Amino acid sequence: MANVLVFAETRGAALRKVALEAVTAARALADATGGGEVHAMVAGPSGVSGAAEQLGKFGADVVIVVEHAALANFDREVVAATLSARAKAGAYRAVVLGFSAQGRDVGPRVAVQLDAPIVTDVTAVHVSGDSLVVKHPAYANKVIITLQITGPMAVVAVRPSAFTAVEQPRAGKAETMAPASDPAASRVVVKEVIEGGKGSIDLGDAPVIVSGGRGLKAAENFKLIEELAAAFGNAAVGATRAVTDDGWRPHSDQIGQTGRQVSPQLYVAVGISGAIQHLAGMRTSRTIVAINKDKEAPIFKVADYGIVGDALEIVPALTKAVREAKAGH
Amino acid sequence: MSAANVVFLFILTLSVGFFALNVQRLVGYMRLGKADDRTGHPLERLKNLLTIGVAQTKIFRDPIAGAMHATIFWGFMVLTAGTVEILIQGVFPKFSFELFLPHPVFQLYAMSQDVFALLVIGAIGFAFYRRLVLHPRRLDGDNLEHADALIILSMIGGLMVTLLFAGACKYLVDPSAIGPEKFISRALSILIFPVDPQPVALASLFMWMHSLLILVFLNYLPYSKHLHVVTSLINVYLSNTSGPGQKGVMRPMDLEADVEQFGASDVEQLTWKNLLDGYSCTECGRCTSVCPANLTGKTLSPRKIVINTRQRLMEKAPVVTGDRMDFLSASTAFGDGPGAAAALLEHRLLDSFITEEELWACTSCRACVQECPVSIDQLDIINEMRRNLVLTESRFPEEIQPAFESLERNGSPWAFNPGDRAKWADGLDIATMAELMERGERPDVLFWVGCMGSFDDRAKKVTVAFAKILKACDINFAILGQEEHCHGDPARRMGNEYLYQMLAKDTISTLDRYEVKTIVTSCPHCFHQMGNEFPQLGGNYEVIHHSTYIERLLEENRVPLRSEEGQRLTVAYHDSCYLGRYNDVYDAPRETLRRALPVINLVEPPRTKDRGLCCGAGGGRMFMEERQGKRINIERTEELLGTGAETIAVACPFCMTMISDGVTAAHSDVPVLDIAEVVAGQLERQPATV
Amino acid sequence: MKIAVCIKRTPDSESRFRIAPSATTIDEAGLKFDIDDFASYAVEVALQLNEKQGPGETVVYAVGPDSVQETLRKAMSMGADRAVQLKTDAIPYDGLAVAKALASELKAGGYDLILFGKHAFDTSAGVVGTATAELLGIACVTAATKLEIANGRGVARRELEGAAESVEFALPAAVTIDEGIARPRYPSLKGIMAAKKKPLESKPAQLGASRVSVKGMELPPDRPAGRIIGEGAAAVPELIRLLQTEAKVL
Repeated sequence: MANVLVFAETRGAALRKVALEAVTAARALADATGGGEVHAMVAGPSGVSGAAEQLGKFGADVVIVVEHAALANFDREVVAATLSARAKAGAYRAVVLGFSAQGRDVGPRVAVQLDAPIVTDVTAVHVSGDSLVVKHPAYANKVIITLQITGPMAVVAVRPSAFTAVEQPRAGKAETMAPASDPAASRVVVKEVIEGGKGSIDLGDAPVIVSGGRGLKAAENFKLIEELAAAFGNAAVGATRAVTDDGWRPHSDQIGQTGRQVSPQLYVAVGISGAIQHLAGMRTSRTIVAINKDKEAPIFKVADYGIVGDALEIVPALTKAVREAKAGH
Repeated sequence: MSAANVVFLFILTLSVGFFALNVQRLVGYMRLGKADDRTGHPLERLKNLLTIGVAQTKIFRDPIAGAMHATIFWGFMVLTAGTVEILIQGVFPKFSFELFLPHPVFQLYAMSQDVFALLVIGAIGFAFYRRLVLHPRRLDGDNLEHADALIILSMIGGLMVTLLFAGACKYLVDPSAIGPEKFISRALSILIFPVDPQPVALASLFMWMHSLLILVFLNYLPYSKHLHVVTSLINVYLSNTSGPGQKGVMRPMDLEADVEQFGASDVEQLTWKNLLDGYSCTECGRCTSVCPANLTGKTLSPRKIVINTRQRLMEKAPVVTGDRMDFLSASTAFGDGPGAAAALLEHRLLDSFITEEELWACTSCRACVQECPVSIDQLDIINEMRRNLVLTESRFPEEIQPAFESLERNGSPWAFNPGDRAKWADGLDIATMAELMERGERPDVLFWVGCMGSFDDRAKKVTVAFAKILKACDINFAILGQEEHCHGDPARRMGNEYLYQMLAKDTISTLDRYEVKTIVTSCPHCFHQMGNEFPQLGGNYEVIHHSTYIERLLEENRVPLRSEEGQRLTVAYHDSCYLGRYNDVYDAPRETLRRALPVINLVEPPRTKDRGLCCGAGGGRMFMEERQGKRINIERTEELLGTGAETIAVACPFCMTMISDGVTAAHSDVPVLDIAEVVAGQLERQPATV
Repeated sequence: MKIAVCIKRTPDSESRFRIAPSATTIDEAGLKFDIDDFASYAVEVALQLNEKQGPGETVVYAVGPDSVQETLRKAMSMGADRAVQLKTDAIPYDGLAVAKALASELKAGGYDLILFGKHAFDTSAGVVGTATAELLGIACVTAATKLEIANGRGVARRELEGAAESVEFALPAAVTIDEGIARPRYPSLKGIMAAKKKPLESKPAQLGASRVSVKGMELPPDRPAGRIIGEGAAAVPELIRLLQTEAKVL
């Protein structure tokens, strides 16, 4: 029986999805040790205590609230110091956090401060005797490694979306705690948070890319591609060399050997036959969807899912369906 | 000897002496270049001298300008004999070839002088007309170039006119001195007679004018583009562009040498031969007029590359050699001040004269080299400068870096998994060398598939088609499978000799391990590289392109073709540069098509065979963006479609990509097929295993 | 500026990996190794900073067996001035153990800036850079996609999920570098030749105790073969279903 400490990350005063996933993972870990408690820490400006209820609903026995006006923006040093202080005081089996932009910053700091081993980007956690055993996809997800961590305490950073947050209500008793270090003394200071989403997303960063080729027949049909990208919300628009050569799209949109090389979570190729030059730029995408009228087109050889037919008919239907799927999410 | 003879001797000595000093000066400049052995293959060189040089075969590739030039050139050859006689007569008035030659021969000689003088005048007249009225685009140049040409034409014209008029005057003074064979001089005397019936002084005046003009001409040459009069024959003899050795083979390079500079960024890093090319250039612009990059609106002009090389040599060499005879460029753009020399040395051929953009625009198609009447090798300069950009300065279009990196890591210019290389052969029962070796067998030929043939979906179909043919003919062949990787040719063409040698040596060691003797490949680039350039690194194999290989099989009736002739198809065949201009393979692909489709209607685009226009992919252009001007593949595809062909045939995977893209862009549905696909489509029975 | 860049040698990401019979390492036969992509971005950033800001020194560090010397030479062929190998026969999987070796070496180096890749392709853990900074007690920014240094202070941009932040920090500092920040230069042959003559020092790595070990490795299940799910707009609902339930990308 051992307790687990969780860093429940927030943006502003709102919990992030990965925070609930981390609580779920911690819950499972605590249960696996024979029913320990899960203590979740939130840090932020006043109002962040409102997250306590939700954390309780997802399995936190105790919610440690660190409220400070200077924490309006994420402060990695204060968070790390406070987590470490709490961990040292509480004899926890593990510190669990998300392997997110924040977790990437906080995890190794906490590990050093606790002199505890750390594993990151974890997709499964088990207890095996005195050790923790975790799964960690490495080599760009081409190899799954099982790691064994010894020692009394470990830092575990879980991969976002690898754990599904499950409601399992607990007390969620709120405690307050003062920051363990002075925010004014932090060496790294956030000057500005630039909200994304509104502007166009760079091809290299976009989790979803919708790309068009000559099969769209005319430059003006690219608006169908833009609408589909907009429906996804987090998508960028790409194009083939033929299309950028023809001036339908700017050269900076070109994906391929001589353009950008991308590997998003989802790549939707519309009216693209799949010439070697294009494939070289997008083949490593995680999931590839192809829409093309020629069922012999090479793009179907690399695509996970293909639809044969006229892009001008299919894309609007897909746009509508994606919008509905997103709305119902 | 009269006083006049003494004066003439003095002028003659002075002129010849001055000319000799200039020759020494120009040779001295040339020696700034790097060594290059051009002494081998004397017989082939002599043959080039006689065909390209004396017989002017390349000049005649433009029939009109060619006839004009050949007339002047042959006129010069013939009249030079007369010039020698005249110069000797200037000192020894009694001298004449008549003293040595049998009379009929002398008469023939005498007549030739008259006839050719008139022919040359005609040709010069046409040259003036062409330059001043017709303005062909390829003669575009600055005012200095233009003035130079006009001065030269005037001088040649003047030489001919004075020669004929001198003859006419002599005839009036002494009719026996000018025989009836010199009918033109005699006829001209009608014009002189009314002016002066006994023109002793006039005869002497014309003679002096003629002689002095010869000497002026002689000494004007070293300062003019018409230096080619002196250097072109030498240049043709020393060139490698039409053999000896192999055409288009890039210069070997020692990467072990402990040097700071690889390739060329300035004239001293070129060879003396490149510099001689500069002296030999007539600025005729034939190279640029056939350059695919220039034709489609890019800045690259092979003519400019050669002219720039000479300009930079003329700018830099006087300073470096401490030469005092370089009157024309003595005051350079930098003036004569103390800083001038330093500023001038800051200049270099790269950047100050030739931009990076020009160098990367080249498709290495060899059209310029093929066209040059005096066998200049423009491409050699471009290749050396690309080597400098990559090896010394690491400057290149950013989009080729992935190709370099992928060649290094994955053994192909595209980042494909090397493990997938032989995937096309899955289920086709094609043996790898390793499998055969294990069974203690050895194939007759190795089928080298190439990167396009292994990874490109379209090219893979060609690979399978060719494998089908080999199977149908019961050829005992094997592939290397996963042991094949790029031989580095794209890296070499893009200036990355280091990467090239790494990949090529590795390939050679694999081939040697299997004791490979004969290789057949469907890629002209692989064909050229492995057959012609591997010997530089110790790899010697018989490499055959599939067009030649299939043609041989057809000729030997080994290909089981269907008996019906099929429908009559109009086909245009597009020549691959690396097959054609690099290796003179023009007939094999055409013959293959004819034999496979007996009722074929084979049509030719206007630019074809050794004048064929590149598809735009050579020289590593496949891996670069084409940002300037019209796309070359569009230009070429329009020509091919313009023939009315129902099918376009190619014999190169790169051409396949470029022309297919061109056809799509033109919204045409004309199929583009490799010759192997045409033949495979006519096979009588599909082999059981393929 | 005096800049240290800690780099790693990793196999090419395009490779097809196999697991060694021991099931605790990958089978290295036939793999091409090179400087890790993220590490190469870090080297490029260091070189550009020093080129822009006048005289400085760029020193590359790598923990590992002698094969890392080739990787250090590669960084020097790009332009780094000298290299240090912290020698160990096997690199522990425990990022903290590696960080301790680096920190003990870098402590006395007097560096203004220490750069790392955001993570290395092979372990994909992203621990060493931040942990090293923490051990050294200096500021650390992770996964920077922009970095500017002026007057002893740095400004970096980090990508957050759906947003980005701009952070400021004082030197000395450590920064881990994300992709997109700079295109690593292609070493010229001249650079490769020069790198052969640059100093490369090798000393034993003072690794910390390793408490993370590899118990097993496996390959993920094969990606299901691509399939055509239908024709025309009628296939859209099925596509949406697959994207939600199978690919989990929607």
